[in-house]
Amino acid sequence: MLTINIFLPLFTGFIILLFPKAKGNAVRITALSGTLATLILSAIILAGYDSARGGMQWITDVPWIPSINAGYTIGVDGLSLPVILLTDILMFLVMLYVVKDHDRAKEHAFLFLLMHTGLLGLFSSMDLLLFYLFFEVGLVPMYFIIGIFGSDRRKYAAMKFFLYTRAGSLAMLISFLALYLSADPHTFSLQKIIQAHPFAGSIQTAGFVMLGLLIGFGVKLPTFPLHNWLPDAHVEAPAEGSVILAGVQLKMGAYGILRVMIPALPMAVSHYNLWLILLGIFSMVYSALAAMAQNDLKRLIAYTSINHMGYVMTAAGIWGLTQNENIKQLALNGAAYQIISHGLLTGGMFFIAGMLQHKAGTRDIDRFGGLLGVVPIFSALLGILAFASLGLPGFSGFIAEFQVIGASVGTNIWAAIGIISGLILMTALYLKIVVTMIFGKPPDDIPVVSELSSRNNFIIAALISISLFLGILPGYLTELIESGTKFLTAIL
Amino acid sequence: MKLWAIIPELIIAGSALSFIPIAGWVKGKNQLIPSYLTLISLLLSLWFAFRMLSWPSFDIFKGTYAIDNFGTVFKILILSGSAITQLLLLFYFRKNSHIAHAPIALLFSTLGAMCISASLDLSLIALFLQMMSLAGYILVALIRKENLANEAALKFFIFAAAALAAMTFGLTFLYGLTGSLDLRIIGMMLMHSNSVWIFISLILILIGYGFEITLVPFHFWAPDVYSGATAPVSGFLSVVPKIAGFAGLLRFLLTAYQNNSADWSFTLAVFSAAAMTFGNLAALRQTSLKRLLAYSSIAQSGLILMAVASADIKSNAVSSAGFYLLAYIFMNLGAFSVTSQVERNFGSDDIILFRGLGRTAPFPAVVMALSFLSLAGIPPLAGFAGKVFIISDVIARGYVWLAVIAAINLTIALYYYVSVVAEIYLKKPANNIKPAGDFYFFLSAAICIAGTIFFGIFPAAALRVTVLLGNILL
Repeated sequence: MLTINIFLPLFTGFIILLFPKAKGNAVRITALSGTLATLILSAIILAGYDSARGGMQWITDVPWIPSINAGYTIGVDGLSLPVILLTDILMFLVMLYVVKDHDRAKEHAFLFLLMHTGLLGLFSSMDLLLFYLFFEVGLVPMYFIIGIFGSDRRKYAAMKFFLYTRAGSLAMLISFLALYLSADPHTFSLQKIIQAHPFAGSIQTAGFVMLGLLIGFGVKLPTFPLHNWLPDAHVEAPAEGSVILAGVQLKMGAYGILRVMIPALPMAVSHYNLWLILLGIFSMVYSALAAMAQNDLKRLIAYTSINHMGYVMTAAGIWGLTQNENIKQLALNGAAYQIISHGLLTGGMFFIAGMLQHKAGTRDIDRFGGLLGVVPIFSALLGILAFASLGLPGFSGFIAEFQVIGASVGTNIWAAIGIISGLILMTALYLKIVVTMIFGKPPDDIPVVSELSSRNNFIIAALISISLFLGILPGYLTELIESGTKFLTAIL
Repeated sequence: MKLWAIIPELIIAGSALSFIPIAGWVKGKNQLIPSYLTLISLLLSLWFAFRMLSWPSFDIFKGTYAIDNFGTVFKILILSGSAITQLLLLFYFRKNSHIAHAPIALLFSTLGAMCISASLDLSLIALFLQMMSLAGYILVALIRKENLANEAALKFFIFAAAALAAMTFGLTFLYGLTGSLDLRIIGMMLMHSNSVWIFISLILILIGYGFEITLVPFHFWAPDVYSGATAPVSGFLSVVPKIAGFAGLLRFLLTAYQNNSADWSFTLAVFSAAAMTFGNLAALRQTSLKRLLAYSSIAQSGLILMAVASADIKSNAVSSAGFYLLAYIFMNLGAFSVTSQVERNFGSDDIILFRGLGRTAPFPAVVMALSFLSLAGIPPLAGFAGKVFIISDVIARGYVWLAVIAAINLTIALYYYVSVVAEIYLKKPANNIKPAGDFYFFLSAAICIAGTIFFGIFPAAALRVTVLLGNILL
């Protein structure tokens, strides 16, 4: 069942390749139905998941490369299920967004569907080699999406994206192989590696292995100083590419920290916790400051992503710092909640930036003003998204950030102060967007803008309402996430 | 005499000899006959080699020639590489007067390569290395009207002569130290010898094998010869002699230099780091695709050499090297098949000619892109699985520094591989001419790409065979 779920998008992609070139419409409809079917299938898997029991379920385990003990081992738990659904939702909305766009539709749809399979496979892998395989499978389609469908400097941005991520993932590969060799008998099975307590004797070796993982996940996350590729990639990527890049691909790094780094190397994470916290907080403050200097809406959102993902790194550090199990769990819950929340809200922001670009031909914040009078519905959507992103209570971002800050207040007050100063900067930043673009005095040469189509309004509204639901009624998702993080808390 | 034990070699030798008169007679359409017959004998030989996998190890010809799984698996690899090359020759030399002669040179070179992987005797090793190279010169010089090809053949000849002479000199050291030509006896006696002499002999022998596997600094011939020769021949030279070189080197190290005498493991680790780094850095600046592939193959050799450096009788590293060579056959010949097509249609292999291939010729473009991504090590392609196996062996051996150098190199390599992919897909075609290809071209390209994908997703299928490389006659 899970296997069908993972490979359904790819299967749809192969069907699309068989279509004749002219049938752009049929391609789009097929891709849309494929992603919808995947979403439904994932929802069924979620419904069949027993969160009271917790742990891995829907497991498939067949030998893949028996001589090195690598298996096709997949399964889902409370950590992976929310991310899988997030991926499906964003993919479905992306396909809906481009449904009218028939230019090179076949290649476009195939690349996105291939990436969809890669992402679902990654979030279901319980085997490190399989994890690595799916981690990199997503790389190539994204390279082509930026390189073919991007804007002027797309080749440069695509290459930069590819090289950064590849260098990071190779560092990660070496660490994976070290973990593989540390277990006796050698195995890639994540569960067996965790049970073997790798490098328990030597904290220094464990530190180096963690460094490799940190480089791999840190490039994706991204964290300072490995973030340099992100603004370029986002600015050049098409809107739908940015949505997936920020909405899901960055989560590969965050998910890897929670799924692999903390369980496999808990001693190292505890030992080097201050470095993780410092890295996280520095990224948050740095990116917030960098975002304030941007005029391009997309570049600005790209920097805010670095800030939001800093919560995950900080939460990992706090997990290592504190001895209190409740606080440990609180930090991880916040990190996992942030993954989902940021996916929804930043996905929405990138959609709206792309729509604005499409309508007005520019994304320069200073060129807009007083949009409320011209396009009230658009302004409302933009305003709500901005407020939700800055962590307004009632939206999902608040729940996530509240939990991480709460965990840090009880553990290290300086960390809490660092996070909050980043948060204040972000608040100022989003208020600036709202004030200049929606209420401010329109400049003389303001581009002509009109309301979005009802299809686009639906996309934004859908993301906002999910975020709102998760913000007002966080209980369901928290319970699901807790069933996943409980297991992580128990280590050490 | 146990002649039945060398049936694969006998088939190739018999065909090579009997096709010489045939190639002289055939005219017109019949000129294709030697090529077809060559394909048949390669496949027949391949079938017998597969049958021999279940045999126990033993030696023949008074202990000078080994029949073991180690040799048989390498023969299978060599024969596969030659068969794919033969398909490309059929495509490339169509309507050319050399189409009747090329298969014969190919067969002789293949024969030499197969015998290198099984020889246990110093004089046989020297002999078969010459045999393989000599046929190689002929293949390089096949288009006689072109000066470039002549220059390439001459350069190849002079370099080979010098390298093989140096190697033979090294072999005499071993004879002098131990009084035997038999690798196994040398292995037993060498432990009592002075390690300085062992080291000198190792370096001299490395020159010869290093020439075949384009090991830095004995690689100078490769870029010039690859760019001077026709694309299918360059493909052949980058695959078959390389496999034979690795087979010979591995057998030499594991029997004659057993127990890591003269610390060859570390020496080779340093050499492999140098080869990868140099090959990749030089490849960054190439505008001719064959030159780029030449430098890429130098870097790929460095990667395989990492497995050789980590190898001992018990480790998985020999199997990893075999798997990587198998993957390398498919991905490298896949790249060369499309290069052959472009070169045959447009008369040059400049990278600009590949621009926009994704629009004008979708199938060759996919083959090229996937081959390059596989060479770069992107999953789920065969090159990825091979790199994982090799790097894990390297770490298991304790050369973590080498694994880190390899990772840095893979990132550098990604740049030039992806640059070509970008030319193919991200740029508009320079001209809208669709390059033509015939059945043999499509067949060879399809085989290559199918192998690259299949062994990437299901490496276990190939590992079942390559793990037999551990059965080496000692």
